[in-house]
Amino acid sequence: MKLQTKVGLGLLGLLALLAMVGPFVTVDPDAQLDLLHGTLQPPSLSHLLGTDEFSRDVLARLAHGAGISLGVGLIAVVVAALLGMAIGLWAGDSEGMAGKMLRRVINLGLAIPRIVVLLVLLSAIGAVPIWLLAVVLGMTGWPAMARLVRGETLRLRTAQYVSAAQALGATRARILWRDILPGALPPLLVAATLGIADAMLLEAGLSFLGLGAPPPAASWGGMLLESRSVMAVAPWMVLAPGLALVAATSAATLLGDALRRRLQPDVT
Amino acid sequence: MTALLEVKDLTISFPQAQGEPVVAVDGVSFRVSAGEVLALVGESGCGKSLTGLALPGLLPAAARLGATSEIRFKGTDISRLSERELRNYRGRRIAMVFQDPLTSLNPVMRVGQQIIEAIQAHRQVGRAEARARAIELLSEVGIADPGERVDSYPHQLSGGMRQRVMIAIALAGEPDLLVADEPTTALDVTVQAQILELLDRLRAARGMAVLLITHDLGIVAGRADRVMVMYAGRMAETASTAALFAAPAHPYTRGLFASIPRLSGEGGRLPSIPGTVPRPDQWPTGCRFNPRCPVVIPICREQQPGLDAIASGHRVACWVAAKTAAKTAR
Repeated sequence: MKLQTKVGLGLLGLLALLAMVGPFVTVDPDAQLDLLHGTLQPPSLSHLLGTDEFSRDVLARLAHGAGISLGVGLIAVVVAALLGMAIGLWAGDSEGMAGKMLRRVINLGLAIPRIVVLLVLLSAIGAVPIWLLAVVLGMTGWPAMARLVRGETLRLRTAQYVSAAQALGATRARILWRDILPGALPPLLVAATLGIADAMLLEAGLSFLGLGAPPPAASWGGMLLESRSVMAVAPWMVLAPGLALVAATSAATLLGDALRRRLQPDVT
Repeated sequence: MTALLEVKDLTISFPQAQGEPVVAVDGVSFRVSAGEVLALVGESGCGKSLTGLALPGLLPAAARLGATSEIRFKGTDISRLSERELRNYRGRRIAMVFQDPLTSLNPVMRVGQQIIEAIQAHRQVGRAEARARAIELLSEVGIADPGERVDSYPHQLSGGMRQRVMIAIALAGEPDLLVADEPTTALDVTVQAQILELLDRLRAARGMAVLLITHDLGIVAGRADRVMVMYAGRMAETASTAALFAAPAHPYTRGLFASIPRLSGEGGRLPSIPGTVPRPDQWPTGCRFNPRCPVVIPICREQQPGLDAIASGHRVACWVAAKTAAKTAR
């Protein structure tokens, strides 16, 4: 195993631990305010990452945020991969007009920046629950996946074992499902893993702009937003969620690359 | 014998963005009787594979069938059926075995599962029963330890075994006609012989007809009942295997025979037919073999010869051969 893969797995393990165990071993950041020692305490033994302007424990908030960040990343990517898979298969298998139209739709989706679509959508809807934010993120992430699956479908459709299946009288649906989809899965899996990082960053960005999970949800992006005004006096409030984001996206990227090396040895 | 398959005036062309469509197969007619092995012989690019693909309607999307072309299977013209209707023929009545067993099997599915799906594509069979049938088929095509091999992935099998699996898959639908497109080209010589023997045995056991498409006259001898030789999209010669081997009439067929290596006779360079098959858009006028023909006469460059009988069951498309035959008859 390469060093990068180990680092990726290690980071992911730490974050998963933080997300799963963190909320149980740290104090509830909303219920238990440490007003006695005042707000904006620097890191100390009782507050490892300090406290914020409401004297909430930053480590505890970070732990809650880890669940949100990872969850949003995963849900968004699953939605994007499923949509992309269906549309990509459909586009790759359709001939004539339908195929051309679908290709245009995919290219259109790729051409419009995701962040713009999300900003318009979210400002129109207003505050959304965090799971819905994840789903919306996923619904803007499918074009890249669809393009990938479409390409693989086009490639595999001319594979001889597909002709052989046709010669046996297999239906189009069965060929797509049993012969073409399994071949398109490895690159999709790689893209999905890499896509987790994108989704987490987008969520943080949207939360930072105030369009993400509404307070008091402890999203990392939201924490960054709150820290903006006190950055000069309480740098730990920026560093904690910022470094966590770097760690999480690095983990996803490193693992995606590891998967790529494993599943597509011919791609360098 | 009644005709199981009757192909009439099969013409396959590819429309071009500009100019005339390219005609890859031009007016080919033949019959296959039940239980018969018919060999279709020709060089790469002569249209033999397209002819094979046309039978179960598997031509590439760009290909167009001639207006008068007919493919009659047990009397029904199947050349214009919809995909849905064709599915009843594919696998169940006409099955195919392709050249390269490496790429003809789905690499990520166990071979047993692929046979099971072939069985279930045509009949309502339970999983356990289909699996038992798959093991039976594997044993029928001569795979040792079929009970274990059924769970192998294609990459775990040798080339010969994979081709046996392909044949087992083709047999799953109990077809009346097996189209085998270069079934042994990708295999070692010893394995070739085994696969051909297997096809022969299955034909005898099941009364299944075989259309054996090959470029190798050597594997035709002793396996096929009749032979058709194709050149540049047209039928050059057709005869019973015995008649063709005894007295090949078309200069092209003779050239093919001359280029088979023999154990007897002196050594030296193996004769070959000069040149290559012209591309379908560059076919010469007259007989398409005329630029490469050693016995060419003026009419060959002007008029296309018809497929004329020179003996019972032996027909040839050659001006010279027809003349010689007429002389002998007189």
